[in-house]
Amino acid sequence: MNPRVEGQQTAATPAVNSGARVISVGGGKGGVGKSFMVANLATCLARAGYRVIVVDCDLEGANLHTVVGAHAPVSSLADFVAQRVDDLGKLVFDTPIEGLQLIAGTHANLSDAQPTHLRRVRLMRALRRLQADFVILDLGAGVHSAVLDYFLVADDGLVVCSPEPTSVENAYTFLRAAFYRRMRLAMVGHGVRKLVTTAMDQRNEHGLRTPLDLLREIEAIDSADGARFVQTMREFRPRVVINNVRTAEDIKLGFAVCSVCRKYFGIDAEYLGYVNQDDDVRLSVASRKPLVEYRPKSDASIYLQRIARKLAGGRPSSFQAAAPNRVASPSGAPTPAAGSPTA
Amino acid sequence: MKPLDEQDHYEVLEVTPGAAFEDIERAYRLTRAAYTDGSMALYSIFNRDDAAVIRSRIDEAYRVLTDPQDRARYDAEAGIADRHAEAATPTATRPIDAFPLEVDCEESEARTLPAELPSAIEVIDDPDADIDEETSDFDGAALRRARLRRGVELDQISDVTKVSVKYLRCIEEEDFERLPASVYVRGFVTAYARAIGLDARRVSTSYMERVEAAREQPQRRLRSSSR
Ligand SMILES: Nc1ncnc2c1ncn2[C@@H]1O[C@H](COP(=O)(O)OP(=O)(O)O)[C@@H](O)[C@H]1O
Ligand SMILES: [Mg+2]
Repeated sequence: MNPRVEGQQTAATPAVNSGARVISVGGGKGGVGKSFMVANLATCLARAGYRVIVVDCDLEGANLHTVVGAHAPVSSLADFVAQRVDDLGKLVFDTPIEGLQLIAGTHANLSDAQPTHLRRVRLMRALRRLQADFVILDLGAGVHSAVLDYFLVADDGLVVCSPEPTSVENAYTFLRAAFYRRMRLAMVGHGVRKLVTTAMDQRNEHGLRTPLDLLREIEAIDSADGARFVQTMREFRPRVVINNVRTAEDIKLGFAVCSVCRKYFGIDAEYLGYVNQDDDVRLSVASRKPLVEYRPKSDASIYLQRIARKLAGGRPSSFQAAAPNRVASPSGAPTPAAGSPTA
Repeated sequence: MKPLDEQDHYEVLEVTPGAAFEDIERAYRLTRAAYTDGSMALYSIFNRDDAAVIRSRIDEAYRVLTDPQDRARYDAEAGIADRHAEAATPTATRPIDAFPLEVDCEESEARTLPAELPSAIEVIDDPDADIDEETSDFDGAALRRARLRRGVELDQISDVTKVSVKYLRCIEEEDFERLPASVYVRGFVTAYARAIGLDARRVSTSYMERVEAAREQPQRRLRSSSR
């Protein structure tokens, strides 16, 4: 398994890479299935003919290499963050899945400093310049500013949530933190800055209760700057995925969470999809294959493919003459005599 | 996006002013469920009082928008008249599809049949799921996917079809040995499909092929049934 050296592709490489589409997968709580989602969605996209690189940004619980069936990494994102390696392309490894590559994460050395905001900006630029159609980031748990920045910089930010109160609470905590982080980064004009500070203040002197109230207040005071700022905030469009569903009630949770986001944050969250809880996931991990490879006809795999198709949105691959295949076929079509898929 | 107290009825229900009756019904059921007391989605965001206020706004919006006269008056007052002219009649494509056996019936007659759940409308917009449902054969898993997508639990189907949850589950799990004679299974599957607004004839045809294929191998079935 060799790191692929950037710039070595021949005829397949287009003269201009329009830039990889960056998808980040976060959502607070550990164990909700972020890495599972990254590995399986990436596999769906790779199978459809896209070039995909998954990046393990979870410096504390890095395990994405295992989920995609790759070996323990010899180098990782931490080397780029600590400036031991300057070319991010040198950290890209192949996986057993064609079209799917990996930038691994390893537990950061204690001596490694957390990346500064500037270094993060540099990393994000480098991510977009990778030779791929899709770059999918597996974010760690928690609401560290690094996690939030990776989430916010992405073209699509997925929030993974399980149908459990703790997970829902974490998802909101994550969204709230991301919302305010985005606000901080987008702040223009002192009037706005002051108001944001007020809102962050627990005592809420202006009677601001929700982020939505805050946006309204800002819209009311300033003209051009305020409007531009509010516009920026409105474009924040997280996508919600509910993982581990068991019942119809669980599936409705995604709708409810998006509605609450609209009524509380004033942001237009989108319910992207859901994936059921499937006991075969454990076996697929043991066999070091993503579920969509291990049990392609299972309900969970079909749900994952639907989500992948939404993410792909019919985008052409920049690395092939032919257009990519549709992300799998409408895979609800089981062959009548075959029965449920067997290993 | 406006705060709740400034939102009009359409915004409260998260529908467009042109929304058809069905869209309003669907939006009402889903939003109402989202803000019921104890809904997981409210947890750590809205307290009970907030939720109660939102619920009463949702109820009021639903009451006005589902009464043609009230809706017209409301639209005129709020300056949104004519915005839903094209949606005056319910679109009802799915419910009609669901009664292929009554092809000769008038639409209105078909709609009086009791066997369809009111919530036979998708929780989530998903064109690929539509394609799956329109093009694929129906096995038990496909039925389950179609049901879940509409936010329907088995006991709700049992309520309207009078088929026991046990049999419904056997249908989804393709546990053919526990199901009765094929003629009954066909009836159950037809009722199930209708209840969630699927093309009942197409579903039962493709499902029954699977049942017959499995039952044509009695030896194997017998052996594997000793669990
Ligand atoms: N839909 C699912 N059904 C069954 N098990 C799942 C599912 N999604 C995730 N898991 C399992 O849950 C555990 C945690 O998932 P993981 O992706 O590592 O979470 P995270 O990256 O968010 O910490 C793993 O053992 C994974 O295999
Ligand atoms: Mg993980």
